Amino acid sequence: MKNFTYYRPTSLEAAVALLDATYGASELLAGGTDLLDLQKEYIAQPDKVISLSGLGAEFRKITMRGGNPPSVEIGAGATLADIAEHKDLRELFPGLTTAAGEIGGPQIRNMGTLGGNLCQRNRCWYFRDETVSCLLKGGRKCYATDGDNRYHAVFTTGHKCVIVNPSTLAPVLIALRAEAEVQGPRGKRTVPLDKFFRAPESAEHREHVLAANEIVTKVTLKAGPRNASYEVRHKQSYDWPLVQAAVAFDLDGGTARNVRVVLGHVAPTPHLAESAAKTLEGKRVTDETAAAAGKAATEGARPLSDNAYKVKLIEVAVKRAALLAAGAKPYWE
Amino acid sequence: MAEIKWPQQRRVIGTKVPRVDGPDKATGLARYGFDINRRGMLHAMILCSNVPHGRLKTVDVSAAEKHPGFRGIFHFKRQGQEVFYVGDEILAIAADTEEHCHDCLRLVRIEYEPLPFVVNEEAALKEPGKGTVPNPGQGNVRPSGQRSVGNVEDALGKADAVVEGTYSVPVQCHCCLEPHGMVAEWQGNNLTVWCSTQATTGIAGMLEAQFRNRVPDVKCRCITHYMGGGYGSKFIPGPTGIACSELAFMTKAPVKLFLDRFEEQISAGNRPSATATVKIAGTKDGKITAFQADIYGTPGGGAGAGAVDAYHQLVPYVYTSIPNIRTVNRTIRLNTGDRQAFRAPGHPQACFLTESAVDDLANKLSLDPLEVRRANLPTDLPNAFKRPIYEEQLKIVAEMCDWKKRWHPPGQGPSKGPLKHGLGLGLHTWGGGGRPNNDVRVAIKSDGSVLVQCSTQDLGTGERTVLAIVVAEVLGLNVKDVTSEIGESQFGRSTGSGGSTTCPGTAPAALIAAHRARDDLFAKLAPRLGVNKDDLKIDPEKPGKIVAGDKEWTWKEACARLGMDTVVGIGDHPGDQSLSSQGVGGVQVCECWVDTETGIVHLKNFWAVQDCGLVINKLACESQVAGGIIMGIHYAMFEERLMDDNTGRPLNADMEFYKLAGMKDIPEIHVHMMDMPERGVIGIGEPPTISTAAAIGNAICNALGVRVPRTPFSPMNVLAALAQKGGA
Repeated sequence: MKNFTYYRPTSLEAAVALLDATYGASELLAGGTDLLDLQKEYIAQPDKVISLSGLGAEFRKITMRGGNPPSVEIGAGATLADIAEHKDLRELFPGLTTAAGEIGGPQIRNMGTLGGNLCQRNRCWYFRDETVSCLLKGGRKCYATDGDNRYHAVFTTGHKCVIVNPSTLAPVLIALRAEAEVQGPRGKRTVPLDKFFRAPESAEHREHVLAANEIVTKVTLKAGPRNASYEVRHKQSYDWPLVQAAVAFDLDGGTARNVRVVLGHVAPTPHLAESAAKTLEGKRVTDETAAAAGKAATEGARPLSDNAYKVKLIEVAVKRAALLAAGAKPYWE
Repeated sequence: MAEIKWPQQRRVIGTKVPRVDGPDKATGLARYGFDINRRGMLHAMILCSNVPHGRLKTVDVSAAEKHPGFRGIFHFKRQGQEVFYVGDEILAIAADTEEHCHDCLRLVRIEYEPLPFVVNEEAALKEPGKGTVPNPGQGNVRPSGQRSVGNVEDALGKADAVVEGTYSVPVQCHCCLEPHGMVAEWQGNNLTVWCSTQATTGIAGMLEAQFRNRVPDVKCRCITHYMGGGYGSKFIPGPTGIACSELAFMTKAPVKLFLDRFEEQISAGNRPSATATVKIAGTKDGKITAFQADIYGTPGGGAGAGAVDAYHQLVPYVYTSIPNIRTVNRTIRLNTGDRQAFRAPGHPQACFLTESAVDDLANKLSLDPLEVRRANLPTDLPNAFKRPIYEEQLKIVAEMCDWKKRWHPPGQGPSKGPLKHGLGLGLHTWGGGGRPNNDVRVAIKSDGSVLVQCSTQDLGTGERTVLAIVVAEVLGLNVKDVTSEIGESQFGRSTGSGGSTTCPGTAPAALIAAHRARDDLFAKLAPRLGVNKDDLKIDPEKPGKIVAGDKEWTWKEACARLGMDTVVGIGDHPGDQSLSSQGVGGVQVCECWVDTETGIVHLKNFWAVQDCGLVINKLACESQVAGGIIMGIHYAMFEERLMDDNTGRPLNADMEFYKLAGMKDIPEIHVHMMDMPERGVIGIGEPPTISTAAAIGNAICNALGVRVPRTPFSPMNVLAALAQKGGA
């Protein structure tokens, strides 16, 4: 990797002050499970690496807040293992703890953080190959569009770059209407998670909307909705999901209200499946209505040459996530 | 000397013995080549081609040479020469640190004149005459062997059923845990290498040959106390070994050179792909009457490509007594890394292509596929393996898995929601004979210690334990009383660990060496114990004792009488079939549940019956079979080298998208070892990985009622097959 200067600030303000206003020259280091690989592969070549390990315990803490409904604040530095194993979170947000517990392997979960999971770079094999000059590295074409795109986006309309957003926590957090707190040079701001991501198209873009000198500090979410995440993976150990569905809804006398269905790993951003939510809204969650929501979730899908199979997987994942959220016994085990 | 035989009554041989070096491996005490660090050691790395085919217009190393850490450079290719694949070696640099070495490589400026390339079989078949590899005039698609027995046309016409299908397995990359490489150090004319190899004496000999014209008295010593897997890819120094020892010679400093994972995936060898369009025909009673196959596969583009034809000649696999056979083979050369021997070279491919077709025929005939196998067992196989063993194995495996109860016609088994149950099987065969030129030395000292030495290496099969078991058996001792030293070329001759020959090569040598050491011990002890040497005995009923009539001494008491004397026995494999033989068979049955909504295959159980003649260490044998099955699961379920048609570059040269099974992907594995002492020792390294993929494919077909014709059995491929059937 290219030589860099290492900083370990002890306050968020100091960390923000070290960051450049444009992407590329400075990078934040949390668990390092993504950044170090990017540096070793020369995809990231920062001059400054700013470690977040010197920030206080607050940055890593998971805090249960009372109230009605109760809420929780998860520090951006909380590890995926912390989230997966947190007893209260597991009770209130089984979708979130399940998703966190299925990321990578134990080593990744012990190091990887919430903030890192939200801000990590995509896994496109053309993007990750230094010699391939793709859109996100200043090139003029997306190599996946007419290349091997078996793991790429199926919601492709309007997208020049057909990566999938790699975050597995994001779909659940969006389904739960979570908000992120972001610290920048002019103080704090709040970004709802469903406005947090963008579809990148050039070297100036990241997979999220934060400015280069902003840091996500925590995520807040309110308890209440039933929620679940279901992912289809080729390998049952240590693999990226082919498709993930997160579903959340309030159960009102047996019928689902305020339904949210969010798909992961199928589009350049987490994908809000509004038709699927509408299909389930005001209905009892049964095999039939869940399956109908699954069908509806594929609306607008335009798969590429190699990934039509993911459209079928979306149907199944949404159906299963909806049934899990409703507390049904998994019919597929 | 009376002829030495394996003992009739066996106290240690054939029992379950934990590996003597297990704790060292588990605790990290074991030192692998990668772990070796020498004083003043330099780090070397290889710069390889970035392009799939090109001419080197510029190779400018001037900036690298000016780097303060730069120590030396070795050129594989010079300006004007061609590179033929991404990964083709251009040069290697040695520097004072690993980081500086990286920096030096990035300072080398290479300019390529781009040349046309082809990296996938399907693309090559579209333009068969296009030549983008060495000897381009012959085109990339080259006819190789063909074979014709009987009259296939006639038999196809007369058959009760004919099935046609195309079956395919992709290129599988070698994924040794420890990559290829070594540490090399010169002292005068002596070169010492700590090398990750499956042939210590072979490496030493080849490196001596490399330097003999410059160092006439060169003596190379190869040390491989431990290695992290070879699977057929680590017989020769290769580019890593040549560059490392040359840089050490040039810089007069120890040099370490190991490949990184990317290089390992693209240039350290692979198992060729294989695709066959098969027509198979049979009669109502399940007799296969005709087998026709058009087979192609790619071994890369380089020098070893020709060998792949021998792989295709293995089809139809096992069922060699089919009366009418016609096969036509093509070799597809591509701008990709070359093949290397890979655990049972050619066999898993041939097994998958054949067993898938045999299963489809059984299904078409509405017959139990196990009975169809039984009806078509070969009358003989080239390696002296006998048909009755297969019959016995089919019987045992059917009992183990309760075949009659669990098997059902395809697609008609039990369901659990979207999960469909499937059961499938495959048969395999292998040689695995022992070879001479394996020197084993057994030494006994007056403190009672016993040392057994051989230059052979432990490829991962438990070789230290094999030697200790055999010696302990002969000397009436326990395994812990014997110290095994292996993996140093100066210990004498040994043959490379290939073809499942290490145990059958060295165990007989150890038996002979131990007998000679015992005889020498008795000769030296007899006068000192006041008995006739012919009266001295080691009684299997009295371990740890030496007896003569009604007198007895503990081993230590007796050995103490040796004083300054040392007892030595040296043995080699006798070169005949008296202590080892060859030719094994195995049967594997897979049980799975396939999720028809997601295309995910959940493996549930594996049952394996395997013979390997006389079992030396039952625990290691069972582990070997389980390990073979796990490797077969990787192959069937996950592995596939992906090359990009547009850039010619590898897409998944990493452990992220080149997938290997994890713990949750492994089913329960039930192993039955057939112990056949009368056959002597036969190797078992390779056979148990052969039929795994075929058994999984057949189990999936049994579950779904539709064939998934290509591996890996990913949701993508399983759902594609289901969609073709018309949905599920």
